[in-house]
Amino acid sequence: MTLPINNIICKGLATAAVLLLSLCAFGQKGIGERTTSTDSIGNANREVMHSTTFGLMGVAAVYDSYLRPYIYADGVDFRIQRETARMTNLMDGRISNQTFLDVNIAADLMTDGGPTWYTGGIRYSQGWLYNFRDCNVVNPAERTTRRWNYAAGLQASGYLGGVYIDRSGNNPGQAKFDVMVNATGIVSYTFRCKKHRPLILSYQLTFPFAGAAFSPNYGQSYYEIFELGNYDHNIVFANIFNMPSNRHRLLLDIPIRKGELRLGYDIQVNQARFNNLEYNNTTIDFMIGFTKYFYRR
Amino acid sequence: MKTYRYYILYICVMLCTLLSASSCVVIEGDTLDDTQKGNFEALWKIMDEHYCFFSYKEKELGVNWNEVHDRYAKQINKNMTNAQLFEVLCNMLSELKDGHVNLLASFDYGRNWSFYEEYPLNYNDSIVNAYLGHDYNIASGLKYRIFDDNIGYVRCETFEDGIGNGNISVMLQNLATCSGVIIDVRSNGGGQLTKAHTLASHFLDKSVIIGYITHKTGKGHNDFSKRDTEWLHPSDGVRWQKPVVVLTNRGCFSACNDFVKCMKLCPNVTIMGDKTGGGSGMPFNSELPNGWQVRYSAVVYYDHNMQQTEFGIEPNIYVEMDGKDTDKKRDTLIEEARKFLTK
Repeated sequence: MTLPINNIICKGLATAAVLLLSLCAFGQKGIGERTTSTDSIGNANREVMHSTTFGLMGVAAVYDSYLRPYIYADGVDFRIQRETARMTNLMDGRISNQTFLDVNIAADLMTDGGPTWYTGGIRYSQGWLYNFRDCNVVNPAERTTRRWNYAAGLQASGYLGGVYIDRSGNNPGQAKFDVMVNATGIVSYTFRCKKHRPLILSYQLTFPFAGAAFSPNYGQSYYEIFELGNYDHNIVFANIFNMPSNRHRLLLDIPIRKGELRLGYDIQVNQARFNNLEYNNTTIDFMIGFTKYFYRR
Repeated sequence: MKTYRYYILYICVMLCTLLSASSCVVIEGDTLDDTQKGNFEALWKIMDEHYCFFSYKEKELGVNWNEVHDRYAKQINKNMTNAQLFEVLCNMLSELKDGHVNLLASFDYGRNWSFYEEYPLNYNDSIVNAYLGHDYNIASGLKYRIFDDNIGYVRCETFEDGIGNGNISVMLQNLATCSGVIIDVRSNGGGQLTKAHTLASHFLDKSVIIGYITHKTGKGHNDFSKRDTEWLHPSDGVRWQKPVVVLTNRGCFSACNDFVKCMKLCPNVTIMGDKTGGGSGMPFNSELPNGWQVRYSAVVYYDHNMQQTEFGIEPNIYVEMDGKDTDKKRDTLIEEARKFLTK
């Protein structure tokens, strides 16, 4: 059986591997010296990180058995991610808070005669992570002495999106909505390149754990749901088994002047199996953006 | 030396990511087999898993979908052209005798329109136009005028137009002096169900159960949800209280069939003409590996007696076009309706 999604992932990862290795080499030569937190901010040692990254011309594929029994591949994905991470005072400062806003839109822009399908959505999440090391998980200054850092926790997330196919009929699209508790974990590795400021390589894995999601029933029309108000298991209990989604972020923060250049690789495999309907929306984006660290008491 | 360790670390992380991501992909859909046999099997399977009238069609027409597969699979071979494949697939779909089942390719539109093609049309466009004349009014697609005998005439060709409460209220106000009204929906192939219900709601005094609706909940031919009641509520606008005749023929299909179903429950309404064409399923669309689109009935509508209307609705009064009237440029159905309303 052909696995188109896996092919996409393999191609994307290979591309990203080359890019990241190249950029790593660039980063080692071009970065400036990073000032440590104690040097520059005195007692203000709780870190706040803001990051905005853009994914341009990523790849996307979508499959929704409500619309057709095959996957739509060859999509182009555009993505914006806004992340804020801050250390809190909870549990002796070991709990960090992560706010994440993720917006994307994808379509098969390369199709002759214009796009035939579109998909997109907005996801907002608030996460609380326990840091296993006695340091800020994103604090570059402290990482110079503790290279490996680990954090794990839970996210509350909400998603609103959909899939639309450019064709007539009573099932041209599918709405997506879920409110989930996600499990998430971060592994980060901080390293120096000669005497330059440290770089941070981090990997975050997130997968939905439990929650509620919207889905029409197998052959149910939206006319029945929204015009007639006929409910038929349209809000379903979602869990790791019927919603085996997973989202991966591989990030590299490269210090440049007073900020950081963020390069990343974002893989999202959003899947669901509700009411005998199947759904898969896979996107792979090479992300680029900027990160800024602040410190507060 | 230390730098190379970093590179090795990166590669390891990426390999882990690759393995992790790949192993987590579990939902992928069917394989795209864009061969003649692959497209045939895909069409058969789409219908097998989603079409909602198999049990009914087996009972009424003796259609056994597995037997249909075996019979038509013999006609498929890898050397046949797309046109030949299209013909075989359309023939297979025609077994269901469903006007909502279609196959759409760039070069043709596969259909079974036997619901009206095998019957007298009972409608002549040029004669109807002569009745309308040139000074008729149009309210969002509804053409109407008042005949000399003070009978209002409304011609509704489709429910695709954006017919709204305002349009209908103004039209009924303009016809208020008439002693009765004829609503001619002959050869109306349907459109939006909500528009059909909007028009019908102006002839109701109280809410009525117009039928029941059910959809498939799984791949089995008998996997259906519970039947939900479907109500029609009176319009907030002008409500017609005088006699009404609805003219029908075999060309009344889909949403128009549902309109007739609703009007048959309204007080002071008489259905006159021929049996409607039916089409009580709500169609969904899907696709074959080669890009051809397939349309099929997915949601079942029953009438208020829990009976199928897939093969049409009987009129209260059967009237057929008389050839002699046609020769005289007279529409037998309109004339009979006028007599009925003026007596």
